[in-house]
Amino acid sequence: MPMPTREDCWSAHCSGPAVRLVFDRGTILLLEPPNGVDVAAFPGALWDARVRAHRAPAFRAEALRAWLARHGIPFADELRSAPAPPAAWTSPELRPYQDAALCAWELAGRRGVIVLPTGSGKTRIALAAMARTRAPTLCLVPTRALLGQWERAIGDAYAGPIGCFGDGRRELGPITVATFESAYRWMGRLGNRFDLLVVDEVHHFGCNLRDEALEMSIAGARLGLTATPSSDPAAVARLEQLVGPVVYELAIGDLAGRFLSDFDVVTLRLELTPRERATYDRDMTRFAPVYAAFRRRVPPAAGADFARFARRTAAGRQALEAGRRVQRLLALTEAKREVVGVLIRRHAGARVLVFTADNASAYAIAREHLVMPLTCDIAGREREGALGRFRDGELHALVSARVLNEGLDVPEADVAVVVGGSLGRREHVQRVGRLLRPRNGKRALVYELVTARTLEVRWAAHRRAGLGARSATDG
Amino acid sequence: MPEALLTVSCYGGMVVPHFLGAQDHPWLRTVLDEHARFRSRPRRELDERLREGLPCAAPAGKVRLTLHVLGRLWPTERPRDLPPPRLLRSVVFSEAARSRDEPQRALERVAERLQLNVTALRAALFADLAGERLVGESPRSLDAGALALRVNLALAQGLLFRAVHVRVTASDGVRRVVRLAKLHGLICTVDRREEPELSISGPYALFRRTLVYGRALASLLPALGWCPRFRLEADCVLGQQPRVLRLQSGDPIFPGDEPRRFDSRVEERFARDIARLAPEWNVLREPEAMPAGASLIFPDFALEHRYDGRRWLVEILGFWSPEYVARKLAGLRAAGIANLVLCVAEGRNCSEDALPPLARVVRFRRWVDAVAVLRAIEEGG
Repeated sequence: MPMPTREDCWSAHCSGPAVRLVFDRGTILLLEPPNGVDVAAFPGALWDARVRAHRAPAFRAEALRAWLARHGIPFADELRSAPAPPAAWTSPELRPYQDAALCAWELAGRRGVIVLPTGSGKTRIALAAMARTRAPTLCLVPTRALLGQWERAIGDAYAGPIGCFGDGRRELGPITVATFESAYRWMGRLGNRFDLLVVDEVHHFGCNLRDEALEMSIAGARLGLTATPSSDPAAVARLEQLVGPVVYELAIGDLAGRFLSDFDVVTLRLELTPRERATYDRDMTRFAPVYAAFRRRVPPAAGADFARFARRTAAGRQALEAGRRVQRLLALTEAKREVVGVLIRRHAGARVLVFTADNASAYAIAREHLVMPLTCDIAGREREGALGRFRDGELHALVSARVLNEGLDVPEADVAVVVGGSLGRREHVQRVGRLLRPRNGKRALVYELVTARTLEVRWAAHRRAGLGARSATDG
Repeated sequence: MPEALLTVSCYGGMVVPHFLGAQDHPWLRTVLDEHARFRSRPRRELDERLREGLPCAAPAGKVRLTLHVLGRLWPTERPRDLPPPRLLRSVVFSEAARSRDEPQRALERVAERLQLNVTALRAALFADLAGERLVGESPRSLDAGALALRVNLALAQGLLFRAVHVRVTASDGVRRVVRLAKLHGLICTVDRREEPELSISGPYALFRRTLVYGRALASLLPALGWCPRFRLEADCVLGQQPRVLRLQSGDPIFPGDEPRRFDSRVEERFARDIARLAPEWNVLREPEAMPAGASLIFPDFALEHRYDGRRWLVEILGFWSPEYVARKLAGLRAAGIANLVLCVAEGRNCSEDALPPLARVVRFRRWVDAVAVLRAIEEGG
C-alpha cells in the first residue's frame, strides 16, 4: 500500500479552498475549512475552544484522509514533516512461517499484530517489514536494555543513520528506536515524522498505560510483535484500534522440534523448614481471611485492587504486610537456596539461566553461588559484557528477576531454573522461550522449584497452563 | 511518586493534601538525626533501622512519604579504597565458572590474587548497588523546616503529576508560568474576569483524561511559588477517580530557584539606563498581562511617570527565532496597545507592515538606547 504524499493530496483534492490538516503535538488540527464544510461530522473530531479549531487524534490520520476524500472535501495534507528518506536496505532472509506472517500483515493493510513464540525471529520479520515498506520507521521497545539490541539488528540490514530516543539519548533518524517511556514523553513532537510504527512486546499497550505513545502518531502502517498477547477483551479491542488485529499467530508447540528446540519441564516440590513453616502459617492466618473476603466481593479484581481495598482498614493493612512477607519468604526458601546450588553444579557443562521472583533473591543467589546477576541495577555495558561472556562460555550461568524475561536476545541456553515468578503465565512463557533456540539434538530442560503446601503450588499450576499441553515430570 | 505514598484525604470530588507543618518538626529532626548517625554505613542498614519505626510518635503515612523524599535528597557514596565492583564481578564470576569449584574456594583464590580478605571481597562485590552504598554527609541547610517544605513540594507535585488540566490565578509573575507552560508544549488560554485566570492543559487532553502532561503541569509549581499571590485548581485522577486539587499562596511548599529578574543583559542594561537618565519615570519589570485574542501577551516593561500619570509599555524584541518574532508581532497587533514602544533589533529585518500600527518603533543594534525610547515617548505625548 503506497503512502500518500503531501503532493498527492494537493493534486488530488486541491483546486480551491481546502481544509488544512496540521499536526499539533500529537493531534491533528483541521484549519480553515471552506464555507459549508462541516468537519465536526468526522468521527473523533472535536471543537477545541482553546485554539478555535477542530482537532482529531493523530492516530486517526488515515481515517480522516479517507473520510475527507469520500465526502469530496478538498484538503491540504500538511501533517508530515519532510522526513529524510531511509537509505538502502538489505532484506533479510525469512523462514517460511516468518514470510507467511509478513504476508498476512501486508494483506491486512499493513496494520496488525504478529504473535510468535520467543526465539522464533520476530525482529527479523520487523526488519523485513521495514525493508519492504522503505518508510521512515519508529521502533518502540519496552526497556533501555533493548535499544542497543534493536540498533544492532537494524544496523545489520540498513546502511543509513539510526536514531535513538531513550537511555539519555535524543537522536532522530529516518529509522529511530525509542523506549516506550521516551515515546510516551516525546510522541507529541515525533508523531508526524514516521509512516511505520513497529511495536515490540505490543501486549504492554491496550490497557491505557502509555497508550498515548501510539495515539499521538500519524503513522498509518503499524506492526505489533508479541509472544504473549493479552487475553483481556478490552485490551484486545483497544489494541486492535491502535495497532490492528492479530494477523498471524503460532504457539511454541507449532514450532518446537523444527524451528524451536523441544523441552521438558521438571517440577521439584520442596518443603519449608519448621521455622519457615511457622512464619508462613502465622502470616497466612492474617492474610487469607481478608483476601478471601475481598475475592467474594470482587471476584475478577487485580492485585492492585486488593491493595487499595486492604489499605482502608487496620486489619487490611496488616493482611497486606503479611501477604508481602509470604511473597518474600516463598521467593527464596532455605530449600530453594540449596537446590539451586545443586542444580548449577549438576549442569556445570551446560548454559544455565536462573529466574527469580525479585532482585533480592537474584543477588542472594549471586552471592552464595557466585552466579553473575543481570538486573536493572547492572549498567547496560556490563550487562552486554556478561551476555557476551555467557555466549562465549566464559560464564556458564546467569541469574535474573525480570531483565531476561522478555525482548533481550539471550544467547543459547540449555537449562532454566525457575526459582520464583511474580508476573504469572505470560512471564513463564517468555522465560521458557529463552531456552528454545534450536540446535541439532538439543532438548532443553526447565526446572521449576515449587514449595509444597503453600500458595506457590497454585501459582505454578497457573503459569504452567500458559505453555499448553507440554509434558511435565514431577520430581 | 507511587500513589500509595501520597498523604491526602478525599472529600467528595476534592483532594486535600496533608502537608507537613511545625507539629511534624520533632519527628523530622529524629529522621534527620538517624540519617546522620548512619553516616558511612551501608544505606541498607539505615533502611532496616527505619523500618523498625521511629522512637517517637509520628504519623505513619507522612513518615513513609518523608523517607521516600529524603532517600532522593540524602547523598550516598561508594566505599573508597576498593577496586570497582564491576571489575570485581567480572573477575569473581568468571573464576567461579572456570574452576567449577565450591564458590568459597573460588572467592578465596580471587581474594588472594587481589590481596584482599574474603569478607571484604564479598562485601565489595555489589558495593555499587543502592542498598550497599554508604550514607553520605547531611546535605547543607537541610533542617526539619526545609525538609518539611521539600516533602510538601514533592507531595503537591505528586498530585499534579496526575493532573489533566490546571487553572491558575496569580497576581504577579504569571509570565514565567506561561513561558514554562509553553516550553513544555501546553496550551495556555486566559479567561478574563476580575482577575485573569490561566487555563493550562495539553492538546491531547481534549480527547481523554490523559496523564501525559502530568510531568509538565507539575513542573509549573516551583515557578508559581514565587508569585506573591496565586490560586491553583487542578483536575487530577486519583485511584481512577477524578478529583480537584486546590493550592494557593501560603501553602507550605518549597519554591524553586529564584527566577532571574531579567531575560537578557539587554533588558537589564535598559532598566538601569532608564532609572539613571529619567528618575521621574518608574520602571516596572513584567507589568500585568494584556489580552491578545484568546491569549495573553506580557510586555517587558511599563514606564510610569511619577507626577503626570502617563504610562507606556516597552517591549524589547531581541535576538530570537523568526517564528517567535512573527508570533510576537501578531500578538502585539492583536492587542492593539496604544502606548507601546517597540524596540526591534536591526538584525530582525521586520517590515513596516509586520509591526503593530499603533506602536512607536525604536531600532537598536546591540543595546537599547534609553534616550531614544524616552524621545519616542515624548513624541507620543
